[in-house]
Parts: sequence; structure tokens; C-alpha cells
Amino acid sequence: MTVKWLMHFQPNQGTTLTSQVMAEACAVAESFPGVSRDGRWRSAMTFYRAVPRDQSLPAPSDLPRDLIGISLHDLPNEYLFVMRSQRLILRAHSSVQTVMDKLQSYKGRFFINFEGLQYKWGDFKLRIGKCLYNPNEALRGIVMEVEYLPLSSMDKSQRVMEEFYEIWREAVASKLLAGQFINTEVNFVEYGLGDSYTPQHTAVLYGMCVVQVIASSNKNQ
Amino acid sequence: MECVVQGIIETLHVEALEILLVGLCGAPKQRVRVHELCLKSGPNLVSSEVRLLCDLAKTTPSWTIRHVGGAMRGAGADQLSVLVRPIAESKASSTALRFFYGIGYKLDHEVLKTGFAFQFQNRGANLTVSVTSTNRMPRLHATDDAVPITPGIHLVEITAPAAPENYTEVASAIASFCEYLSPLLHLSKPGISTGIVPTAAAAAASLMSSGGGIKIL
Repeated sequence: MTVKWLMHFQPNQGTTLTSQVMAEACAVAESFPGVSRDGRWRSAMTFYRAVPRDQSLPAPSDLPRDLIGISLHDLPNEYLFVMRSQRLILRAHSSVQTVMDKLQSYKGRFFINFEGLQYKWGDFKLRIGKCLYNPNEALRGIVMEVEYLPLSSMDKSQRVMEEFYEIWREAVASKLLAGQFINTEVNFVEYGLGDSYTPQHTAVLYGMCVVQVIASSNKNQ
Repeated sequence: MECVVQGIIETLHVEALEILLVGLCGAPKQRVRVHELCLKSGPNLVSSEVRLLCDLAKTTPSWTIRHVGGAMRGAGADQLSVLVRPIAESKASSTALRFFYGIGYKLDHEVLKTGFAFQFQNRGANLTVSVTSTNRMPRLHATDDAVPITPGIHLVEITAPAAPENYTEVASAIASFCEYLSPLLHLSKPGISTGIVPTAAAAAASLMSSGGGIKIL
């Protein structure tokens, strides 16, 4: 699997995030020479909560409160779980969701979709999308996933990704968007992940990014 | 959903059973070495049980998460000679055990199943016949030091995936295949023990001397 970076849009202090930002970010991408639109993309995230044996009581504190499940747009037959507090990832066939339903020990409490437009630009694939609560589709954030197709090594792709990030930041700044895109930084070693990029890396990126998106959204409301 | 029957056979007759199965199935024998961990939810969680299966027969161990539901009940199910039950399974990464520990599950028991299996089709159903010894481990996860729980006895299990619209046909396919094995062992619903078959010794001797000249299905 080739390397990806994941960024989220951080609105300026006191400004409210609107769908207009998505349109403007797409316009930035479409202004790159040689870029072509490449369809749509959608990933889905579920936040799980433990179901206590005595449901009149709150969930015990020794059970994780940060269990998330992710279905990635480019891996429709797989499902990944991330527990940030334990730096733990489980990668499984998508039928694991059926197993979790049968166990009934954890239930999905709220859901977020990431969906938007995909672009091809030279060796890069850009996916700009809204971060939407499901089912009311309240906008919580704007994200951009950048994939560098030639490389699977994060070390080897570091420099080219940084260069892209700078190009993107300057392009966004020149369009006077009311904020900036922040890259999601993760210490993958803590999750037992190596230099060769995998879907587990993507899952961890989304898990970290969504925390920042929600925090940013709550702050600006 | 799956259909399942089980039976036991004395270990000294397993070789004869293998000869019979080679002739009947027309499929290659597969080695079985599965580390099965049964996990139960902790006292704070809704009660549930899940099994993790680690296939050690291959070069790289592979993990499966498995939930076994309660047996189908009712007049229709009672009339069947096989047990029908819902099954949910998923292949998973090697972090499966740590994951379930992390979400509050505890290890209830673990066993190592060793033996062989055949996968083939009978009457349109995909059958798996496994012949295994169930072993316990003297120390946590010590699969290399496992010893049989019932020395001298092997478990024979026939399973087949099924769906609500075809489980009776699948059950019939299993039942008909069981007839071929009846000289050596009787198979029935799990939990209903039929013991050792009195004709097993004679049947095994016949198989060993004939070298497996059995008509293939």
C-alpha cells in the first residue's frame, strides 16, 4: 500500500466551518496544472461504547471509551478497529462487524462519514472530503487525504510529502481560506507499525485526525 | 449458519478412518493444528463468548474470530439428525487476542487441536470432515508442550456451511455421508454421545488389510 498523509482544516479562531470551505479547497485542487477529477470517495467511522452487564449503571471505567471502527474507501472487504489509549489496531475481514453485533458487548453509539471528491495529480491522489455526523449529516470538518503512489516507505516519501504539503498550504493561503490545513502527526512506532505503509497506518491517522476535527469543531461552535 | 455432527473414535482406528476418508472424499488430506482460545466477557460487560482460532499448520499463523450461536430449536430442528446453529466468522490480524483483552474479555480456556481434515462436496454441500485430538497446555499458550485431554480418543466432526433456505438439504448431505462411516463410528448432534461403535475394530482391520479399496463418491 502506498503512503498517505491525512490533514484536516483548522478554521481561524472565531470563524465557523461551512460547506463553502469544501468547495474552495476543491477549487484549489482543481487549479493545479494537469489535475483531473477521479470520482468520489467515502470512508465510514463508528464510535463504539461498552454495554455494561447492569445497564442501569454507567459503563465501568476500566473498559475502553475510545474504541473506533473504520471502513476505508479503498478496502471495502475489510474493517479496522483502533484503540488509541492502548495503541492497538485490529485489522479484519468486514464480517467482523457481524461478530461484534452477535457479541452485543459493544454497540455503535455515533457515526461519522468522510466523503467527497478525488483527484489525480501526477504521482499524487488527493481526496478532499467532508466529515459528517451520521445520520443528520451535520458538518464537523473538512479533511484531505494525500496519497503518493510510487512509494510504500514512509521514510523515503517524507521529503516529497513535505514538499507537497508546502505547495498545498501556499495554494490554500493564496485563496484566502479562513483557516489552514494541519497535517495529522502520529508516532506509528507506538502502535507497533513500521516504515512500510499499511491500512493500519491509515486507520491510526483517521483515529487521530477525527479527535482533532471534533475538538476543533466543538471549540468553534 | 452451519450444520454439524460429532463422534469419537479410538486413536488406534484413526489410520483406518483416514484410509476410508481418502477413498470416500477424493480430496487431499489437510493437516490440522489449531490453537483455539475461548474468551468470555468480563464481569462488567454484557455476557458473551468468542473464540479465537490460530491456524498453526501454515508457515505464517493466521487468525480467525468466531462466534457460535445457540442451536436451532423447534420441531423441524428436532427431526434433523444434525445440529444447525448460527455462525459468524472473520479473518483477523495477529492482534486479535490483545484486542479482545483490551475490550474486556478474559481467557476462559484454550486447547490445541491436532489431526487432519478433508474438504469435499457431497450432494452439493461443502463438507469438512476433521479428525482431531484435543490437547491441553500445561502453561499459558504453550502449544509445543500440549498433551491430549483424552489419550486414546479422537474427535471426528463433520461441518458444512448452510443458509436458512438450504439447511435441510445440507443436513441430509451430512447424514448420508455419515452412513459411509457407520462401520467405524457413529456421528450425532454435539452433546449427544453415542460412544464407541462395537464394529469399529473389525471394520478398521478390514480397511487396513484392504489398503483402502473403497469406491470414491
